[in-house]
Amino acid sequence: MSIFSIGLSGLNAASAAFNTASNNISNVYTPGYNRQVLDLAELPAAQGVDVQGVQRQFDSYIAQQLNSANSKSSALDTYQTQVSQIDNLLADQDSGLAPLMQKFFSSVSDLASSPSDPAARQGVIGTADTLSAQFRSFDSYLSDMASGLDGQLQDEVTQINNTAKQIAGLNTQIALAKAKQGQAPNSLLDQRDQLVADLSKRVNVRVSQQDSGSYNISFGNGQPLVSGGKQFDLATMPSAADPTRTSIGYRDAAGNLVEMQDSTFSGGTLGGLLTFRDETLNPTRNKLGQLAVSFAEGINAVHSAGVDLNGDAGGDMFAIGQPKVYANSRNTGTATLAVAFDPANASQLTAGDYDVRYDAASGNFKITRIDTGENTTATLDASNQLSFGGVKVTVDDPTKLVDGDRFQVQPTRIAAAGFQNIIGDPAKIAAADTSGGSGNNKNALALENLQTQSLVGGTASFNQAYASLVGDVGNRTNIVQVNLKAQQSLSDQLTDVQQSQSGVNLDEEAANLIRYQQYYQANAKVIQTGSTILDAILGLR
Amino acid sequence: MRISTQTLYAQSMRSMNQQQADLSHVGQQIASGQRVMRPSDDPQAASRAVQVSQAQAITSQYTDSRVSARNALSMEESVLNSVGDAVTSAKTLMLEAANGTLTDADRASIASQLQGIYQTVIGQANSTDGNGRYLFGGYQDKSAPFVTDASGNVQYVGDTNTRQQQIDASRLMSVDDNGVSVFQSAQGASGFMAVAVKSDGTANAGSVTIKGPEVVDTSDPAYGTPFKIAFAVDASGSATYTIEDTTGAVLQPPQAYTSGQPVTYGGQSLTLTGTPADGDEIKVDQAKNLNPDLFKTFEKALAILKQPVDTPAKQAALQNTLGNAMTEFDNSLDNVLMVRASVGSRLNELDVVDKVASNRQLNYAQTKSDLVDLDYNTAISEYSLRSVGLQAAQKAFVSMKQMNLFDLL
Repeated sequence: MSIFSIGLSGLNAASAAFNTASNNISNVYTPGYNRQVLDLAELPAAQGVDVQGVQRQFDSYIAQQLNSANSKSSALDTYQTQVSQIDNLLADQDSGLAPLMQKFFSSVSDLASSPSDPAARQGVIGTADTLSAQFRSFDSYLSDMASGLDGQLQDEVTQINNTAKQIAGLNTQIALAKAKQGQAPNSLLDQRDQLVADLSKRVNVRVSQQDSGSYNISFGNGQPLVSGGKQFDLATMPSAADPTRTSIGYRDAAGNLVEMQDSTFSGGTLGGLLTFRDETLNPTRNKLGQLAVSFAEGINAVHSAGVDLNGDAGGDMFAIGQPKVYANSRNTGTATLAVAFDPANASQLTAGDYDVRYDAASGNFKITRIDTGENTTATLDASNQLSFGGVKVTVDDPTKLVDGDRFQVQPTRIAAAGFQNIIGDPAKIAAADTSGGSGNNKNALALENLQTQSLVGGTASFNQAYASLVGDVGNRTNIVQVNLKAQQSLSDQLTDVQQSQSGVNLDEEAANLIRYQQYYQANAKVIQTGSTILDAILGLR
Repeated sequence: MRISTQTLYAQSMRSMNQQQADLSHVGQQIASGQRVMRPSDDPQAASRAVQVSQAQAITSQYTDSRVSARNALSMEESVLNSVGDAVTSAKTLMLEAANGTLTDADRASIASQLQGIYQTVIGQANSTDGNGRYLFGGYQDKSAPFVTDASGNVQYVGDTNTRQQQIDASRLMSVDDNGVSVFQSAQGASGFMAVAVKSDGTANAGSVTIKGPEVVDTSDPAYGTPFKIAFAVDASGSATYTIEDTTGAVLQPPQAYTSGQPVTYGGQSLTLTGTPADGDEIKVDQAKNLNPDLFKTFEKALAILKQPVDTPAKQAALQNTLGNAMTEFDNSLDNVLMVRASVGSRLNELDVVDKVASNRQLNYAQTKSDLVDLDYNTAISEYSLRSVGLQAAQKAFVSMKQMNLFDLL
């Protein structure tokens, strides 16, 4: 009677094949679905066909490559979205800072033409107000971006924690199923791989598969995010070096929140946000601040040397946001530092932030410019002061310093935010030099001359500094756009490769349906033939 | 390679998206007329455009500055013209007054004409611009630079500065001249003048009149040094004169004086006529050291014209003073004309700089346009090319969609 059982095994196999094809067709557009193929084998002693199982077409090597490529594209895409906002801000040449600085100097030139004319004096106040307001508005645009970015970091961390939790849960289920049935359901595996793909778009991670079938997921520095059924949380926290800056913290097994380096996160949305902040947003704010400080200090120095319409010495024309210093929260010493601009060395002012580290053995301070890595060593002078990069740092009590204490100095980060014209009375503009007189325009001419002097970093005029800021942001945006394009096409190619392996082709499934139909009919014929043969035997008289 | 159905759609979508993005970019460029719309489109060009815009703006700032410089200088030029005319008329009056047949009344009438001219010149010296700023006060432009003091003399109360303006990148131009340099700096081309006045400033008591000095020998070692001729008359009435330097040290011992005889010293020769009184002096010096002040000349001339001539001494004083005044008016006129010439040449320079600047502006505009503006020919052909690309991608999608085995079953 084996002909019936052979035929039956064939019918079973054919309907299993139908199921597989139908499942493939119905999931053709399901994200994360991997094409399934029926695994058939001959039964021993020519007893028919056996359905061994349904295999999903999944190549973990390609999946990893694709995830890593997507991680990079997603970082660049995030970076590009952010940097384009600054790029667009600088796009309008008529309302940027350059024409406003220009208008200010034009009004000073008018003042030089008629130094006692109240209208000319009022003109200078007007253009000074507009210019300083534009500096502040530019800076507040950037600082709004910075606080928006902090919010996004918080969102990303929440999403990463959720995804990691789901992966840990699936790890447990898959291990359990594997222990029970020897093989885990394809749908659970697809689901987990899809979550890993999602996670990769948020942050760059490394995946390793355990013998139990669990995925272990870790960051670039080796710290685990998911280990079997256990998941570790990320959280945002203020940086130890600079409390105004949001860092990513890692909650370790003991429950302590440990600050992670920004450089750990190079990929995914999270990596893109952090890279943008460190590479473009903060440097742009610093450069804007540097321009504001150079402008204010340059004008103030000349203005203070002059005499106003009342015959009094001119004062400062602009106020400016003062430099900041933060003591590292991990310092063991209790010394506090104060920082101020050093007008005598104004040309040394840079757009960099500085890390100042105390070395007890030598009694020196190691000063590192953070953006360039440039190192200098300095000792306190008689009045407990350090002078570098156009600022002066004062230590309140050097005996309170402990070896390894660190401080971060930000000379120009918030300078533009405090940039303001403080002269409201037209008579207080010092157009005259010290010899005085209502028709004396000597100081106005000196102010006008500042326009073309190299006062920013000692090498660039105000306008050149602004042009270089525009060029920098343009370049940065341009580079990110080009890299994104290249990375995107790499991702696309890998997606195509992954799809050629794991994707469903409807034509192929249509052909399979026809094939399996014939397969079914043929097996039915086998049974019919068996029955005919049996009938023939039973019909013998 | 096996192609999944998703890939087929994804590839079509990708290519349509790309074509659409490119088309929209060119579309935006055409709409704005700019090749560089954002700094990232061409960072170098964007950054250079900022600098070229600055150069354009500075150039027009200097153009504005030249407009006000031209205003100030033109105003000064017209004032100087009037002053020149006034001084010329004053000199004509001096010639008239020097006519020996005039009576005291005639001279009084000339004095009143001269008084009118004098007032005119004071008025011109205190001219203001449209905003009430005094032209000739140096930096002190809020109050009249020339004021008449209690004794009726004109005093300068401004300062000796001149206002300058930046009229081009490297040119600082004086846009006014102060009252001293216009009205109180007659140079007289270093010529010499002789004045009959005692050391204590009072008028000579004798009736000596002066003709000259004339230069007779420029190679004389004492040529160019100031000196004075001091008269002494003894009890018998015989007169001698001594040449002394300005401090009173004797340069040439006493000699007998004869009316009408030339007196020569330091290459200068004077012809003195009339009778001196004991203690009379005649000072010989460069005109600019004696009186460079136009207003003092007016005051001096007016005083002498109003004084009745009833003694030979007064007659001599009239003649000497009118002679001096004529020389001084000449010198002042020269000075005013010289300042006017300098104003004129500054006005010319402004015109030249204007021309250069307008050429420069054209260049800047061209440079900026080359940097950021769109080449419409290229852009429009690019636009058609992209439209064709997009349409092709759309057609490909439609035909791909129809190629499906299920449709054929």
